[in-house]
Amino acid sequence: MRKIVSKLKFLLFVLILTSCQNNQKSNEINIYSQRHYAVDELQYENFTKETGIKVNVTKANADELIQRMKIEGSSSPADLFITVDVGKLWQAGDMDLLQKIKDETITAGIDSEFLDPNNYWIPLTYRSRVVVFSKERVDVNDLSTYEDLASEKWKNRLLIRSSSNSYNQALMSSLIANLGSDVAEDWSTKIVSNLAREPKGNDRDQVKAIASGQGDIAVVNSYYIGLLLSSEKEEELKAGNSVGVFFPNQAENQRGAHINVSGIALTKNAPNRENAIKLISFLTSKSAQQTYVNNTYEYSVNSSVEPNEIVKNWGDFKKDKLDLNMLGVKRNEAIRIFDKTGWK
Amino acid sequence: MEVNFFKIKKSNYSLLTVVFLATLIILPILSLFIGSIGIDISNFLYLSEYLLLDYTISTVYLLSLTLVFSLMFGVIPAWLISTSRFRGRKIYDLILYLPLAIPTYIMAFSYGDILSFSGPFQSFVRDFIPSLTNFVNQDYLQIEILAILLAFSLYPYLYAACRISFSLIGNNYINLSKNLGLNEINTFLKVGIPLSRPAIFSAIFLISMEVLNEYGAVSYFGVNTYTSGIFRAWGSMADMETASLLAIALFLVVCLFFGLEKWLSSKFKYNFKSNSDLSPYFKNSNKKLIFTHISCMIIILAAFAIPILYMVNNIIIDIDNIDFFDVYNLSKNTVIVSLVSSILIVVVVILIQYLKRISKSKILNFTGETISLTYALPGAVIGISLILLFSPINDYFGFLLIGSIPVLIYAYFIRYMAVAVSPIVSSFKKYPMKLDDSGKSLGLKPFQFFRKIFLPLNKSAIIIAFCICFVDIMKDLPLTLILRPFNFDTLATQTYEYAIEEMITKSSIYSITIVIFGVILLSILSVNQSKK
Repeated sequence: MRKIVSKLKFLLFVLILTSCQNNQKSNEINIYSQRHYAVDELQYENFTKETGIKVNVTKANADELIQRMKIEGSSSPADLFITVDVGKLWQAGDMDLLQKIKDETITAGIDSEFLDPNNYWIPLTYRSRVVVFSKERVDVNDLSTYEDLASEKWKNRLLIRSSSNSYNQALMSSLIANLGSDVAEDWSTKIVSNLAREPKGNDRDQVKAIASGQGDIAVVNSYYIGLLLSSEKEEELKAGNSVGVFFPNQAENQRGAHINVSGIALTKNAPNRENAIKLISFLTSKSAQQTYVNNTYEYSVNSSVEPNEIVKNWGDFKKDKLDLNMLGVKRNEAIRIFDKTGWK
Repeated sequence: MEVNFFKIKKSNYSLLTVVFLATLIILPILSLFIGSIGIDISNFLYLSEYLLLDYTISTVYLLSLTLVFSLMFGVIPAWLISTSRFRGRKIYDLILYLPLAIPTYIMAFSYGDILSFSGPFQSFVRDFIPSLTNFVNQDYLQIEILAILLAFSLYPYLYAACRISFSLIGNNYINLSKNLGLNEINTFLKVGIPLSRPAIFSAIFLISMEVLNEYGAVSYFGVNTYTSGIFRAWGSMADMETASLLAIALFLVVCLFFGLEKWLSSKFKYNFKSNSDLSPYFKNSNKKLIFTHISCMIIILAAFAIPILYMVNNIIIDIDNIDFFDVYNLSKNTVIVSLVSSILIVVVVILIQYLKRISKSKILNFTGETISLTYALPGAVIGISLILLFSPINDYFGFLLIGSIPVLIYAYFIRYMAVAVSPIVSSFKKYPMKLDDSGKSLGLKPFQFFRKIFLPLNKSAIIIAFCICFVDIMKDLPLTLILRPFNFDTLATQTYEYAIEEMITKSSIYSITIVIFGVILLSILSVNQSKK
């Protein structure tokens, strides 16, 4: 009996040893990512070629990945967490799932306005939530700010997608942070009453709805306009070309257009910390930033890297300087305002 | 007491086996229950105050509409095809199963694009029938249209269930009904439907669960269902505990309806005798033939041909950018996990149902069907419950079970069990217990009886269960997304990733590959059906 017990103990010991090794293979990195673009795979391939470090990725929705990291705790295999909504990075930091990154070689190449003051995440790219308008039916001089979208003149003319969309939640969070919740709530009520139809569809559908005459202006993510304008379908191109892109809040005394960053963070127990830092450093390098903008319609967080031609045509714009963490901090309040004001 | 022949001695083992299997299935739900004890209910109260009533109303409306359309698209053609013989019947029969291979969200995104202002439908009208331009320029993202689209990809559950059931009714009942002076419509309503009640119910159950769990298509259409509430709590309010509480509440409501139906159906007992005669045929009047052709063709065109043509067109447009090696790799991944899981599911379901049958124990009877209730939980919630269940093992042994293929297959096993239960149960029920007694009189042991008589008799239902399971797992998204190993993609995850990023053109090669596999499998199923 004793023999059996000792054999079992030995077996268990071996098992634990081998599995621990599993957890920390020195030449790998494990990423939990919300991003799933072809360009990401290209970046990882280039990184592996350069360093010999293998990149493993699990792609899922940010909330599910956060939940998974939380439950997995210290045994989580994840080294890095990537999202397309900085609010989720803030949330992961707030839940104590991340560790700080203080590495000047990384931050040196990034414009300081995008950096996390708490050092929990590093921005990779950014997009803006812009207003698009029918070139036929809207005089661009009538457009000014996000706040102005609540005015009477847009009654039954405004299109926007549902409040479950995280880009809308981020926009509302920025309004709360900049203007206070009372103003934001009032804005939301008026926006709902200005809607040309109930919130539905994705960002492209809002543009198509302008083309079809269901509404005249829409709030959409710049990234998707890029996609639409590069479509190989003639009718989609026509729809894309029927609208103009407008960056709100650009006047001198105004705060600038709302932006959201896609970012990367080091997990609290990252088993392959050093490799992970190498990857962050790689992704923020000028050449990798160039790869991002060449293959997607995102903006680089390094201002010396120029965006894609289509995006460049919209011109430069002033960005809202709000601490991007606010897009997460104010999230819950934003949801409550949406629900209270009937923004579906 | 000869009836209890198979019950002898073995019954304890069989009971143990079933209890073990049932525990495997119920364990994750238990972990959810335990996880939600004593949580802060303020978000729950908040959701009930502002949203749940609205969400529940639109859920009920969407569900009812989808069921009505599914019944129309599923039951009527199943009757026409089962009871008459005409040219083209076999082809219709084959194709009518196929829309099952198109995931609901792909159906919704595709039609969203097809009907949109820049889509082929409106462009065609603008170019060729300009006078109708304004008439067709509508907002098609409406709940009623969503219900039709959901029915397009879900009606095959009903079609499959009714095809088996109608073709087992046999001549006796039909002749009797004819002798009583009932015409075909009345025979359909008064004989066909009531005799197929269990089959229809189980298909309706599956369709309802699919609708309740649907998230991609409903949020695209701007419809908020109860599941939207679950994801609102989880995604937007970052409160997983409230999300599980909502999921459990939904689960309990479904259990209630399930129990109610069981109770109701126990009150209506039909003396059903299946018949191995050839399918009964009604005379084909011209009117009926025209009706049959038109109804089958409309369904096939709208639920299958149009979305497929749309995908093919997308593939042609994007052909230069397609990475066929990637398509091959993802197909391999998809087929392996779907194959292993569906075999596992079918074997376990047969085992449970057969043990239930021969042991006649009440506990077995209860567990045998309640296991399919796990289908009421949203996939993402099952995914999280499994992470909850396995993380202590991660912590304790340092194993990385979460994110491994075995756990993924275990998840499929729990979630898609229900899909296999219904065809197998309805088929088993068709054979009276007398059959088992005659097995005994031939001196067959339970296993021999099963292998020699029961298995061949139920072969068709087993193949159906396998095929439907396989196709469903192939389409699975929520479980695969959250539980898959590193660097592991399936056709469904790739399709979804492109579709959600508004790159539907790029997603088409992956979704059509799902459909091709589905077509191969469902063709096997259909050929097998028509042989009968």
